[in-house]
Amino acid sequence: MAANFWTSSHYKQLLDPEEVHVVHPLDKERGITLEDFKLIKLHMSNYIARLAQDVKVRQRVVATAITYMRRVYVRRSMTEYDPRLVAPTCLYLASKAEESTVQARLFVFYIKKLYSDDKYSLYRFDRFEVKEILEMEMKILEALNYYLVVFHPYRALSQLLQDAGMNDATQLTWGLVNDTYKMDLILIHPPHLIALACIYIASVQKDKENTAWFEELRVDMNVVKNIAMEILDFYDGHKLITDERVNSAMNKLAK
Amino acid sequence: MGDGRANNSNSHSNNNSSSSNKPEWLEQYDVIGKIGEGTYGLVFLAKIKSNRSKPIAIKKFKQPKDGDGVSPTAIREIMLLREISHENVVKLANVHINHADMSLYLAFDYAEHDLYEIIRHHRDKVNQSINQYTVKSLLWQLLNGLNYLHSNWIVHRDLKPSNILVMGDGEEQGVVKIADFGLARIYQAPLKPLSENGVVVTIWYRAPELLLGAKHYTSAVDMWAVGCIFAELLTLKPLFQGQEVKGTPNPFQLDQLDKIFKVLGHPTQEKWPTLVNLPHWQSDLQHIQGHKYETAGLYNVVHLSPKNPAYDLLSQMLEYDPRKRLTAAQALEHEYFRMEPLPGYNALVPPQPGEKVVNYPTRPVDSSTDIEGTISLQPSQPVSSGNSVSGGMQGPHVMQTRSMPRPMPMVGMQRMQPPARCGSASSSTTADEKERLRNGDDWIPSTEIKALLSYLT
Repeated sequence: MAANFWTSSHYKQLLDPEEVHVVHPLDKERGITLEDFKLIKLHMSNYIARLAQDVKVRQRVVATAITYMRRVYVRRSMTEYDPRLVAPTCLYLASKAEESTVQARLFVFYIKKLYSDDKYSLYRFDRFEVKEILEMEMKILEALNYYLVVFHPYRALSQLLQDAGMNDATQLTWGLVNDTYKMDLILIHPPHLIALACIYIASVQKDKENTAWFEELRVDMNVVKNIAMEILDFYDGHKLITDERVNSAMNKLAK
Repeated sequence: MGDGRANNSNSHSNNNSSSSNKPEWLEQYDVIGKIGEGTYGLVFLAKIKSNRSKPIAIKKFKQPKDGDGVSPTAIREIMLLREISHENVVKLANVHINHADMSLYLAFDYAEHDLYEIIRHHRDKVNQSINQYTVKSLLWQLLNGLNYLHSNWIVHRDLKPSNILVMGDGEEQGVVKIADFGLARIYQAPLKPLSENGVVVTIWYRAPELLLGAKHYTSAVDMWAVGCIFAELLTLKPLFQGQEVKGTPNPFQLDQLDKIFKVLGHPTQEKWPTLVNLPHWQSDLQHIQGHKYETAGLYNVVHLSPKNPAYDLLSQMLEYDPRKRLTAAQALEHEYFRMEPLPGYNALVPPQPGEKVVNYPTRPVDSSTDIEGTISLQPSQPVSSGNSVSGGMQGPHVMQTRSMPRPMPMVGMQRMQPPARCGSASSSTTADEKERLRNGDDWIPSTEIKALLSYLT
């Protein structure tokens, strides 16, 4: 389990994109489109990363938290599971799962503090207290079906970079991997393929000829390239995301 | 888990004022009674109504005290158990949540016996040693489960007889199940006092490197414990019965080390090169090296000839240097397991007809404690009267107000004491009894297990 991705619940739970990109009927009723759905998850992923800076937990905890949140919304509606509560609670739960527990009241403190930050001030992020977080923690455990072990691309990344002789690309690829959590890739692809896609992008960007190395890996390069394309598409689309777009999506929820 | 759907519907209609007061998930069980009680909660015996009364042990975690939700311990235990699956590891059958009082329940396949009780039965009741076939089969299965855990980077950290369960009557009769996972603390901080609130953990199975203050522990600590358990199966007595030093955090356990040295001889830097790097070896030279025990007398203690393969296996598990200590995988390959009698699937019943079968007692069940009495049906918050358990002073934290907090390994269910004992056990524990408690007697148990997730960093 812990050491072997292929026997893990994470592997068994990987989904097809069509299963992930589905707006829950309850959310549809509120006029939430697939685009809105993705935007809100992106926005909340950023929020988790931002909150994590304050409560001081490592990137892996952030990655686990975002994965939890994205898994929750595969089956649950945002209408019933308010993202503003789900996101911080996922970080709270991930901090326990990843052995770096942070007290709930500290979370509440920082949530309120962050509320004064412009970006997150619109949607009453501050209205939740410890009690709500603890109640939501249980609901999230249930929504996750108690599967809490998550594998991330980071470990594979450093090994692969070493092997490819691309240690100089660590910073770049690490950043790319971080950004993949703004998408749903972690729900769909094995983490080492996500890592490879990031290395692939870095190779292209750095003009490093790596074809032979990739071929030796005996992985399906089509999948790797597709993931890479998706990441690049995401960056393209990301430029077009305006605060207004995010606001309008969030407002449909806020009601 | 299996009943995810049932859970959902439950959570959607939290104020289910209709029908019964039970949480929906509880309807699927007939709860027989309490079979154990520990620091982390209570354990109940139940039967699944729909499945030919299949017995289940339901471990109820204490409700969180105000403020911190599901304990990290419970989180880690669930996290681990949800991933692992092996014949010789306890099976998590289900997880349940009662949203009203925020309590959490783990349902396990029920195991009627454990090594603690089996050993005690032989020692105190039938007065005879455990037959060779049973010892060998129990040991082999224990190693088999441990090999699985270790190859998945899970270190149990609190192996001891009460955590090694053995299935009773049924298809899996005589099958060993390693239990009690997940109370690992941050793995960089090994052997933190196994608990803050004065809970006692027996130190008898603790590896010498940990006793000497090693900061990092490895799967070798489990193998040491297996060695101790092996010896105990052979002699019916704990191998190293040290007096625990109380206090926090993690006080130096001189007496435990002394007990080990007395039997195995003093460790030397030649045999164990990294010994000198261990904190307590460094800082407490005088005490530790005060007594010199030259002669190793392990074979005398376990009454085995040094030429006996069982002795060879045991002594390799009790190797001082953790790097030289036998691994579970190596132990499974040992000659001992290839000689007659060969180890078997049903450790309790030898395959050869005619062999005497020992009938072990079943776990006492305290049917006066009903699981429902411990479930708050009102939405948490202040509960002054709603609790059916009398004497409660603190609202939902019911079990804290119950008799005496006998620590027990949650899944490795410690037996309930017979009623008489049970009643007398309350506040008036004598100093002597406390001492016995601390030393892993009778009611002890334990505690926590430490399991370690060191995947992904």
